[in-house]
Amino acid sequence: MSSLFFKIFLWFWLGIVVLSAALITSAALIRSRSADDERWREKYQLPLDLRSQHEADILERSGVPATQKYIGSLEQHDPMQNYLLDESEREVLGRPVPEKVAKLLPQVRQSAPATPVYFNHERIMAERVIASSGRSYTFFMTFPPRPYLPHSLVQFLFEDVGTEGIVRLIVVVGTGAIFCLWLARHITGPIGKLRVAAREIASQHLDARVDKSVTARRDELAELGRDFDRMAERIDALVSAQRRLLADVSHELRSPLTRLNLALGLARQRANPEVFEHLDRIERETDRLNKLIGQLLSLARIESGVDLQQKKVFDLGVLVQEVASDGDYEARGRNCSVKFDQSFECSVEGAPEMVRGAVENVVRNAVRHTAEGTSVDVAIECRPNDHGSHAVIQVRDHGTGVPDSQLAELFVPFYRVVDGIRKDPDGAGLGLAIAERAFRLHGGSVTAANAEGGGLVVTLELPVLESDDQAVRV
Amino acid sequence: MSRGLRSLKQDTDRAKSDSTAGVRAGGVSKQRVLVVDDDVELCQLLSQYLAEEGFVVESVHSGLKGVERALSGEHSIVVLDVMLPDLKGFEVLRRIRAHSRIPVMMLTARGDDQDRILGLEMGADDYLPKPFNSRELSARIEAVLRRSQPDATAIRPGVGERVCLEDIELDKGARLALRAGEPLDLTAVEFDLLETFLRSAGSVLSREEMVRAVLGREFSPFDRSMDTHVSNLRKKLGMRPDGTERIKGVRGIGYLYVFSQR
Repeated sequence: MSSLFFKIFLWFWLGIVVLSAALITSAALIRSRSADDERWREKYQLPLDLRSQHEADILERSGVPATQKYIGSLEQHDPMQNYLLDESEREVLGRPVPEKVAKLLPQVRQSAPATPVYFNHERIMAERVIASSGRSYTFFMTFPPRPYLPHSLVQFLFEDVGTEGIVRLIVVVGTGAIFCLWLARHITGPIGKLRVAAREIASQHLDARVDKSVTARRDELAELGRDFDRMAERIDALVSAQRRLLADVSHELRSPLTRLNLALGLARQRANPEVFEHLDRIERETDRLNKLIGQLLSLARIESGVDLQQKKVFDLGVLVQEVASDGDYEARGRNCSVKFDQSFECSVEGAPEMVRGAVENVVRNAVRHTAEGTSVDVAIECRPNDHGSHAVIQVRDHGTGVPDSQLAELFVPFYRVVDGIRKDPDGAGLGLAIAERAFRLHGGSVTAANAEGGGLVVTLELPVLESDDQAVRV
Repeated sequence: MSRGLRSLKQDTDRAKSDSTAGVRAGGVSKQRVLVVDDDVELCQLLSQYLAEEGFVVESVHSGLKGVERALSGEHSIVVLDVMLPDLKGFEVLRRIRAHSRIPVMMLTARGDDQDRILGLEMGADDYLPKPFNSRELSARIEAVLRRSQPDATAIRPGVGERVCLEDIELDKGARLALRAGEPLDLTAVEFDLLETFLRSAGSVLSREEMVRAVLGREFSPFDRSMDTHVSNLRKKLGMRPDGTERIKGVRGIGYLYVFSQR
């Protein structure tokens, strides 16, 4: 759920907040400009009226020098410049007229006399005056250019953005959060449900389907959900067909072999002593065939995952100890032994019979390959790693070992070590393959290595349950 | 009674006369074996083989008939295949166990431990994975029969007819087990197992010893059927009066029947 949900939520929400903040600010900027213009007009409207009239009067009454003096005294303190143009469009003091003023002149000359004309953008205001002589003048006041940004941030925030803007922003943040939460849920909710279904399928519940609320939607996620369901149905059908096939084939293989065994028994009952040797041979071969079929069925069964549908919590320590003591019993026949290093409680979850079969295969394999008179050493310990604790079982024999290049191949079904030293007439070549698959299905692993001083070490690892789970004796 | 059932009975009669024809001339006290398996050819071979070993065999090929014949009281042991066309072997076993304690040996699928455990849990006396060795089959049938016979199962010579310990009481003559005076529904194996436990209460029995004494055969390592029998017995016995477990597992060795000496 987490990351995608928060990503979608955060990005959309942030987007909405930033966008609306930008809108509010720009609106405030525009407002701040027009307010600025307003202040400018109000402030200079009266000087404009007075000065235009005054300058025209001085000019007509006292001439150019007096006017020059008057303007000079004004411009000493003012930020603005004053221009008075006569009817021939000439500055009365003979100063050059800025271009922007000249450009605006025709517009001003059409306006009514004694009516201010404002050019907000150019920061110029003008007024036509009719002097007492009846001549018409045009008076301009030009100011420094209008600022692009407000002078004071505090003033901007408090006056131009104001409470209204802040309230707006809060409303947007709030409603935006609600909307984005809904959106993120709307998108990631179905993904979460798809995940639940996928996980169910992965953990062998093949009848799991996507929640109806997903497939009932009208979008791509619904299509994905429906496709997922179709896929699940197909897998379900295939797996159950495979299981049926497995059951059928095993039954079909078993029946003729069982009959063969009985026929062998009958032959033995009535046979002459001289054919006993051959009957023994037949019996050995059928036994081997029986074992092979048994192992093939185990392998197929493990890979189908049927046994993992009902998991149990059990103590791996006890299980390994039991297998080791059985192994010891079997090893005595070869003048060998299986030594077990103290057990400790070690709860794992899974199919105990499958795990037992796997450990048994590894131990018996070691018993078969250890040199006569030596021991097979079995040890179990608990090692912490990145993903919680792992139970590590080590089974070490004192045989010839396996060439390093072939260690990985030991777990391939029917693989036989090629140097011929590790001959194994009883093994069908499936024991380690079965063990490896069984452990992998439990989230563990099986690896092999050559031990120092000769012999093979097979290491079996299985994740351990947290200690608060109660171990159930198997 | 319906016509269907009557004709079914005729079928089984015919099957019986077929399979017993070869050994009718034999002795008086031959043990009768009921084989329930849908493989007709296998049944024929089994009949021949077991006849040679001194048994009289009747074979039926469906679960329903199997239940009916097993409850007729004419047989000493039932050999029951797990895979049957109509009823599953376990269902047949359940129906037989609802009315009778006749020894049942299950033929399970090799490589299928779940079936073996389920069969033993449901009260089968023993099991044999198919395909099996014919000598193993007759040996196991004999072992099961030996221990299901009243009074033929003395573990040590010179023991009495009754064994008592705390609130458990065994009547060997009647093969009846009582807990606080109430009869317990035990199979033959469980009865023998309980007797073995009671006789060595307070000391640890190894799984090897238990297999020899109770199942009457050599211990074969990696065979966990004894553990299933123990767990069944434990369930049926329940807790001791003081609320503790009667049978304790001893890691790597075997089991101990707890006995508190005053």
